[in-house]
Amino acid sequence: MPTAVVEVAPRKRSKARKAKLLPPEPAREVPGPGERPARLPYLLDLYPAESAAQTRLAPFFEGLREGRFLSTHCRKDGRVLWPPRIVCPVCHTSDLTWVDLPQTGRIYAFSAILAGAPSGLEEELPRVVGLVELDGSPLRIFGRIVGVEWPECRIGMRVRVEPFSLPDGRAYYAFRVVR
Amino acid sequence: MSGPREVAVVGGGLTPFGVRGVTWAELAQEAGEVLFRTVPNLRAADVDSLFVGAAEPERFAFQSHVAPLVAEQMGLAPHRIVQRTELACASGQSAIRSAYAAIRAGLSDIAVAVGVEKMNIPDMAEANSAMACVLDRPWDAAHGLTAPPFFAMVAQRHMLEHGTTDEQLAAVSQKNHRFANANPVAQFYEKKFDREKLLRLPLVAPPLRLGDCSSMTDGAGAVVLAAEDRVSEFTDTPAWIRGSGQYSDFHNLANMGSLTQWSGLVRASREALRSARIGPGDLDFAELHDCFTISEIIEYEAIGFCGPGEGGSFVADGRSDLGGDVVVNPRGGLLGCGHPLGATGIAQAVEVVDQFAHRVDPARQVPDPEWAMVHNLSGSANVHSVMVYERGG
Ligand SMILES: [Zn+2]
Repeated sequence: MPTAVVEVAPRKRSKARKAKLLPPEPAREVPGPGERPARLPYLLDLYPAESAAQTRLAPFFEGLREGRFLSTHCRKDGRVLWPPRIVCPVCHTSDLTWVDLPQTGRIYAFSAILAGAPSGLEEELPRVVGLVELDGSPLRIFGRIVGVEWPECRIGMRVRVEPFSLPDGRAYYAFRVVR
Repeated sequence: MSGPREVAVVGGGLTPFGVRGVTWAELAQEAGEVLFRTVPNLRAADVDSLFVGAAEPERFAFQSHVAPLVAEQMGLAPHRIVQRTELACASGQSAIRSAYAAIRAGLSDIAVAVGVEKMNIPDMAEANSAMACVLDRPWDAAHGLTAPPFFAMVAQRHMLEHGTTDEQLAAVSQKNHRFANANPVAQFYEKKFDREKLLRLPLVAPPLRLGDCSSMTDGAGAVVLAAEDRVSEFTDTPAWIRGSGQYSDFHNLANMGSLTQWSGLVRASREALRSARIGPGDLDFAELHDCFTISEIIEYEAIGFCGPGEGGSFVADGRSDLGGDVVVNPRGGLLGCGHPLGATGIAQAVEVVDQFAHRVDPARQVPDPEWAMVHNLSGSANVHSVMVYERGG
């Protein structure tokens, strides 16, 4: 069975290689058990603080609500940084600008969490996760992969960014397998 | 004025590792009992400095400021340097490195390095959250990243790129569990695992099974480090620290280069071997960070025991076992002993001391060892910490 984990999906010609941005779409609710608290205690909450009162990266989360997938770009040395930052690690300027990242890509590596989930994720197992190579970008970003059961998942499968809302209204994102 | 002083680990010991019915502070007391029992010439008043390796006492025991707590529990009154060292899975080695640096610089003469971790708590989901926040919490861990899925992706890529097999992964676990069966403090001292049994254990994060993963473990230990002019008060077979190297190169997974070639370990191990003026072929044994079976396989390659991609056959052919090129993890490793984060680095150093003194079970005694390497990775293999020891006497 585990050998399936290393098989690679057949490569199809992709129209999305030029990093075309998808149209904005409304954030959608994650289906989950209704009993779940809107928010874990602050120091068990894995998700980021996202309001402008808490972080200078609030535009990233506002972008998710508008169907955009943003990060920061340093004009001086031309690097697109991940995760988004407020100071460039190369030239140490704070003069960074927000840019749209490609919202499509390909699975580079994946696994599934079958046991040992952190607080708040226990009821969402198995949970497929992976590294995604964004189209036309050097970035390889980690995230949850939805829309596929782990035994059917393959390296090379195409995915797109999918924003969603947490029970308390915060925005976050996953990657959905595109068939 | 001569050069920097030489420093040796002169003794130390461990509490039993496992799922223990003791508190964090009680583990520290047990570490005190075992330290003064295993180093009989040590007087508390001679210990001028204390370094406490503890990864997450805030998470696992809701306790900060643990260095003075440990001093009190162990009956020590350090008067030069007292501090905690935190580097996740490498917190114990960090305590030893800090003690080494202090003694070498002349700021300390006799220092104790302690490691304590209590990981089994009533709600293991909270313990898993503690492990998750070792990684980039808001950007990686929030998706569900913990250590098993990370190292599972590493294993998947190594299998794809080099043809490494489930059986080769199991060979690492089988070897280390066999050594742990000869180590009375190991979590799995009494549990036997043959290859077939390991390959039947449930998947945790495919392709990794339960036997490919080190455990959540409670345990503690302590070692004494001494300046060259004080070493003979304690032992005839000091473990001299001859080399050291460390490298940190990313945090978020997006900024990791190759998943399967750990350039940080290439750099850290080269620096450690260069400063000891030896090569990988001179090592008699190595305590490598086998948090997962795939880790040990990639570590063989990065340190230079074999070529890139050859780690799977290296272990399957017995070249990292007794009688092979280099004995890797004769203590039983993290896989066989368990992995109480802060105590693991201390346990590896105790193994070096005990191997050099020829006082371990013959089933895991390396014949006449002179040179040893100790390695810890931490987090998502984003930091590598390496030390090289030479037997004195
Ligand atoms: Zn810059």
